[in-house]
Amino acid sequence: MNRMLSLLLALMLLAVLPGCDYRILERIGYTYAASYDTAPGNQVEIGISIPRADPTVKLQRELHSAIGKSSKDARVKFSNETDLLLVNGQIRVLLYSEDLARKDLANEINSILRDTSISPLVRISLVNGNAKDLLFKNYKQHLSTDKYINRLLEKSSVNNRIPKTTLYEFERDYYEDGVDPVAPILKEEDEDITLDGIGLFRGYQYIAKIPNKDALLFSILRGRIKKGDMALDLAEHENGSAEEYIMFTSVISNRKMHVKHRSGEPIHVTLEANFKGSVHEYIGNLKLSKDADRHQVEKRVSELLTSRANRLVKQLQRYNVDSLGIGIHVRNSMSHKEWKALDWSKEYPRVKVDCQLKFKAKDYGKIR
Amino acid sequence: MIPMEKKEKLSPFHTTILVFMIQSGVMALILPQLLAETFGTNGWITVLGFGFVASINIFLIAAVYKLGKGRSIFQILEQSIPKFMLIPFYLALALVWTLLGCMAGKEYILIFQMYAFPTTNPMEFKLIMDLLVFWLLTKGLYNITKASTIFFWLFSWLVLLLFFFYADFSWTRLTPFLFKEGHFTYLESLDIYSSFLGYEIVILLFAYTNQKTKLIKSTLLGNLITTVMYCYLALITFGVYSLGQLKNKAFPVLEMMAYIRFPFIERMENLLYGFILFTVLFSILMYEWCALEMLKQVFPKLKANFLAFMLILSCFIVAYIPETLNEVGDWLSTLSMIECGIAFGLPFLLLIVLMFQKMGSRTAHE
Repeated sequence: MNRMLSLLLALMLLAVLPGCDYRILERIGYTYAASYDTAPGNQVEIGISIPRADPTVKLQRELHSAIGKSSKDARVKFSNETDLLLVNGQIRVLLYSEDLARKDLANEINSILRDTSISPLVRISLVNGNAKDLLFKNYKQHLSTDKYINRLLEKSSVNNRIPKTTLYEFERDYYEDGVDPVAPILKEEDEDITLDGIGLFRGYQYIAKIPNKDALLFSILRGRIKKGDMALDLAEHENGSAEEYIMFTSVISNRKMHVKHRSGEPIHVTLEANFKGSVHEYIGNLKLSKDADRHQVEKRVSELLTSRANRLVKQLQRYNVDSLGIGIHVRNSMSHKEWKALDWSKEYPRVKVDCQLKFKAKDYGKIR
Repeated sequence: MIPMEKKEKLSPFHTTILVFMIQSGVMALILPQLLAETFGTNGWITVLGFGFVASINIFLIAAVYKLGKGRSIFQILEQSIPKFMLIPFYLALALVWTLLGCMAGKEYILIFQMYAFPTTNPMEFKLIMDLLVFWLLTKGLYNITKASTIFFWLFSWLVLLLFFFYADFSWTRLTPFLFKEGHFTYLESLDIYSSFLGYEIVILLFAYTNQKTKLIKSTLLGNLITTVMYCYLALITFGVYSLGQLKNKAFPVLEMMAYIRFPFIERMENLLYGFILFTVLFSILMYEWCALEMLKQVFPKLKANFLAFMLILSCFIVAYIPETLNEVGDWLSTLSMIECGIAFGLPFLLLIVLMFQKMGSRTAHE
């Protein structure tokens, strides 16, 4: 009897409770991507893209935009324009215009961090130009733009063309003492979207960018990588030789930093990176199957990249952004008291950084 | 005929698991943040210290177990102290334990609701949870321990999810500094310690054990599992998040779960939150069970199931009072502080009583 009673009660609960809080999938608008632009009077313009899967309409996605004091303020405005219940749970991409990022992204990022429904895996990217226009435009030969951007960013970060920049990484680097956040930059190019480089931040403020051609080098200097390809014109370095060109893929690298302190001198940091790759293309006079020749090519690649790396680091120091996380290693090399006494942002531009890159050709393809 | 034990006794394995399940609870979700806030860099190491303190407390209970020769605490107390004096004491303990279970339940529900079903009335969830607690409660301790073993297996695989963070874990992020940039307060360290609470209820298990249970050994082992788990969890959180970020997170462990992504499913953390219920459920259940044991002593004539029903009903009604997460957090903090006192005070009290009894018996023999 008792058992029957409890069973009945359980069944009744099961029948009644689902009615308490129900959602119908077709009536929910899962925002997939959002864009943020500057608007007059210290306001922000927000654009959102919502995929629609309704067989009765020939619509791929719904687009809304509004201007407001904050992102949530704008959200209230465009939620009046749609019949869908807007939710943030499936946001994958957040696009910020360079202009907005140059001011400061603190408010925008914090409002996203507070929202429990937004995943820490949401990708963050800057846009060279107007972010809303980039997101709202339909690119003929590509998927729905929001998905196109998401996949482009995902693929590029796997290939180390851009650093992996999800909300988690962005926030982590913001709070970490000795490193500054970075984010990729996208731009519209005719009928495509393309990578425009890597945006360097100080706190949540966008300071400068490094061009796309240095992207892989930047990844190698920033930490361990496992994929990526690079093409180099060796002739630009060795002006004597004729046309010499190399392209290698499947780059695997690791990075080490050694910090030395000498009294009276600025901190000395040696950044060591060893990387290996498979040569897929080589145009030049040397024969890769010969050990001596191959070592010569390896040496040239190492030298060229070392000098480019040194130039890149100088550039970062000039902008006073520690995007490579040199500060973390400097911090870990001293006592807590010394680190606190050191004003890293003042010290950083004076640090002597010496990059040493070593390339090794793992293999050189099917021909000798 | 082979002499058979009349009543079933707890097995060591079940006891270990039970202790672990009671200890690990809703506080584990906040633990890394508290560690970062209180101890700063490398705060995860202190987990071992807290675990050690808990072990000392368990040794205290062991002394009671040994000196009392396995008698239940009621037998020990009632031998020396008249019952009418003990009744308010029993009732006070029952009240603390009821409220503790009740608030832990409400806290879990409110946290869960931040992520799922935010507009549903939290008391609807509480009702279901309390029903579950009630049903388990009426089944008796032996069945509870068996159920806890099953729930343990349902829950324990979550530990494997920490593998996901190995890629983002970085030793350099841990920094070589020990306990810097923290803000130590006794109040917060008590909060941290409260995430270890739960082992102290074994003091009520004496009557359900025999030699084979190896009660103290099993409890220590359960506490060790909790400590190692917490330490591992805290280490990973400290290596995945930067210190400032961790300090700023309300529920770092929940957020870490959101970071897990499978190729075929994204945003699966809402599914995972549900699994945490299993361990939270047993923390609640066992506190309610303790309260019930107390009530049984106070009202020996009433039926246990009726008492259990009244207990859960009052627990449900009290849960209406605090409405926000902060209010519940405050209640829980205060209650855990009292519970810390009970965890150390009760065995002390019993030891004193036992000492008097021993002296009394010695003089009687002389």
